[in-house]
Amino acid sequence: MTPIAGSVALNLAFGCSILSIITLFFYNRTADHRLFLTGQRLGLAVSFFVFIATFVLSYQLLISNFDIDYVARYTSFETPTIYKISALWAGQSGSLLFWLFILSIFNTITIIQNQSKHHTLMPWVIITMSVTQGFFLILTNFITNPFEPTQTDFIVENGNGLNPLLQNVTMAIHPPMLYLGYVGFTVPFAFAFSALVNKDTGVLWIRSIRRWTLVTWLFLSIGIILGGWWAYQELGWGGYWAWDPVENASFMPWLTATAFLHSIIIQEKKDMLRIWNMVLIILTFSLCIFGTFLTRSGVMSSVHSFTESSLGPVFLIFVFIILICSFGLMYFRIEDLRSPRKIESVTSRESGFLFNNLIFVVICFAVFWGTLFPVISEAITGNKISVGPPFFNQINIPIGLALLALTGIGPLLAWKGTSNQKLIQKFTFPTLLFLLSAVAFTFFKMTGYVVISFSLCVFVFAAIFSEFLKGIQARTSKFGESTLLAFYKMIHKNRSRYGGYIVHLGIVLMFIGFTGHAFDKEKEFGIKVGEFEKVANYNFQLTRMFEEERPNHYAWISDLRVTDNNGNFITNLRPEKRVYFHRNPDVNKRQPHSELDIFSTLNKDIYSIFSSVSNDNNTAFIKIMVNPLVKWVWIGGYLLAFGTVIALWPRKD
Amino acid sequence: MDLLKDYLFTLIVFLIPIMYSIQPLLLPKISTVKTSNSKDILRRKKIVLYRQIKELEMEYDIGNLDKEDFINRRSELKTEVSEIITELKKK
Amino acid sequence: MNNKIYSLVTGVVVVILFWIGWVSLNPADKKAMAQFISVKDLIDENISKRTKLGGLVKNGSIEISEANQLDCIFILKEGENELAVNYNKTRPDLFKDGAEVIVTGEYLNGVFYADELQTKCASRYEGDLRNESNYNLEEIDT
Repeated sequence: MTPIAGSVALNLAFGCSILSIITLFFYNRTADHRLFLTGQRLGLAVSFFVFIATFVLSYQLLISNFDIDYVARYTSFETPTIYKISALWAGQSGSLLFWLFILSIFNTITIIQNQSKHHTLMPWVIITMSVTQGFFLILTNFITNPFEPTQTDFIVENGNGLNPLLQNVTMAIHPPMLYLGYVGFTVPFAFAFSALVNKDTGVLWIRSIRRWTLVTWLFLSIGIILGGWWAYQELGWGGYWAWDPVENASFMPWLTATAFLHSIIIQEKKDMLRIWNMVLIILTFSLCIFGTFLTRSGVMSSVHSFTESSLGPVFLIFVFIILICSFGLMYFRIEDLRSPRKIESVTSRESGFLFNNLIFVVICFAVFWGTLFPVISEAITGNKISVGPPFFNQINIPIGLALLALTGIGPLLAWKGTSNQKLIQKFTFPTLLFLLSAVAFTFFKMTGYVVISFSLCVFVFAAIFSEFLKGIQARTSKFGESTLLAFYKMIHKNRSRYGGYIVHLGIVLMFIGFTGHAFDKEKEFGIKVGEFEKVANYNFQLTRMFEEERPNHYAWISDLRVTDNNGNFITNLRPEKRVYFHRNPDVNKRQPHSELDIFSTLNKDIYSIFSSVSNDNNTAFIKIMVNPLVKWVWIGGYLLAFGTVIALWPRKD
Repeated sequence: MDLLKDYLFTLIVFLIPIMYSIQPLLLPKISTVKTSNSKDILRRKKIVLYRQIKELEMEYDIGNLDKEDFINRRSELKTEVSEIITELKKK
Repeated sequence: MNNKIYSLVTGVVVVILFWIGWVSLNPADKKAMAQFISVKDLIDENISKRTKLGGLVKNGSIEISEANQLDCIFILKEGENELAVNYNKTRPDLFKDGAEVIVTGEYLNGVFYADELQTKCASRYEGDLRNESNYNLEEIDT
């Protein structure tokens, strides 16, 4: 299988995508069903050819064919097999092909799943997906081709290899997870666009894509959390979120997607918020493309950015086309989009969803504003000003807390409106707990946002708990079931709702983790063997420092004995400073790496980094961070995934 | 031999999908498609409506819906379901 | 949507836009904002407020203090322009001669005092493939 096959496959894929679009266009005009079949099959052919191209590239990576520039750049003979495979998404052109690959999988599934249904919507669904595939095919065919041969005048004996910093499992999984999220929103968007074209913006398109959206949302969420977890475990700056432009690029579509997920519930139940739903999915998809653009081009200075290339402008043009076509079409379909019903009361569940949408969009805008601040400020003042975490935190914390409050308030509201009597009945318990907690936390000398955040967590927890309780009570009184059976059956029969509540619980736990950040303490110091250093309420003693030569790196290891203020033993930490390729004669090819050690409990993480050793090898320079409550972020993440799986669990109808 | 393998490969991998795509165009014109299994569509609708009624009852039981609203909406849904059942009986 | 809700929504939007604008003009933390500037402009205009610079670490310029190994000084090279930078926190793993860095801090009396130092992400592997010496000739198997 020569690499040429890969290039040819990409060419054919591009050709088929154009033919598919043209054929389906003609189908819409002539209603000749043969044209639909051909267009549909051409859509499948595009995916097929993309699969071929991807397999060819993967094969070349596995056999280490260094005649291909991409293979030589990202692998070497010594690269472990799993990382030869993951090299597929390590570089720019490969990752774009990978995007296409995932889109092609989704394309195939969507077409096959809908073979017998949705005849009216499918032509434009396929057209939209073909256009998206076509865009990425333009990139991989003409601008950044993964099958580019190596441009050297000598035979390349061995490749560049993959940096050991990237050779860990999380780093291999994080991009595919995120891509599954980014790419996945193409399908709901395609259905939305088709619904607009066909003047059928009612419940049909929503029902078609609800599960799909939830799965995609799950992938995106996991991708984002994994990225944060990896940064925390590997990168050594002690945090999991830096409001980096690329992090923001994944967070923005997550925000609008979450709003969309909630909002379509309303359209399904009450046929309201049609316009919101359209806007939200258009924004989500555009932000996914924009996010891919931010990650791949060098536009924003970020630790993630790759070389600047002509990719940037092409992406931007595509995003503009999406926005203009979608919103333009919305304008012409505005009559079809007007919901027959109206929201009647502020204290109604519908209203709660509306404000939910609003706050998510607003946070998204705030993040967008901060991320593009350098571009905006340069346009206005001529000075390019970058904003850091304090900016994002100052803006987003109050809004985020409002969202947290809404997570508790929303489920307690009734449809159409909540009478005063019901308001008192539903809100008294959680509100009381909220106030009591606020007093308690203040008593424990906490202030400001921390008190509000923790108290709101209690509030939301109480609200969700009372919803579970009511559900159980309804079943026990109606069906005479035991509490446990009622609990199980209640969830079993209402997986979306209670799965969703479990997700909310996960979010509450994550907020607890986020709030712990306010109590972070850190210290950097030099220490000799036998000496003590105090950080927060812990004592650190360097008991031993030694060196070790290992197969592919050299390590300096420090043993730290951690005790608390009363002398009780807590743990031993063993951070290391490593140098990979330490035998390479070129000093610049030697790769230092800090292998940190973390002691993690529910209460706090003790995070240790071995920064460097003094020249006489007597003093170790250590950085210690004591980060309270971090573990709750990861626990919350697990609960979020668990809740989503429950919501997705198929029913046997 | 290698050349033959390459040609065979090209034929199978590249030509067949294209032929598969063009094949429908060679058939006689199909102007109407059996608006497929409308019975299936009705059955699916019935299930969705049943689910909605059940959910409505649950919402009422836990107090998210007031009585009047509940009764109105339930009778709406029940009417829809009986219409569908009548249609299905006809087929 | 009834009038009450409509005005509430508008109110929320206005308040938040105002809040965003307010923070943009008066951030509470001085570390919230930094101006991207070139080394040349920084020196020419002698800007003392918080700035962010990018460039390469000049080969051989990294000097680590004997007394405190966390404290180091190096030369930041942007094109032809050079600037002495002082940084006294844990240095990132990728920080070395020729590394691409972004520093944030304040410029005072000819030295740039950085409190943030970032190096480019490892996923971009440097090395001109046309140069044979850039290939790993001596990697040891695990």
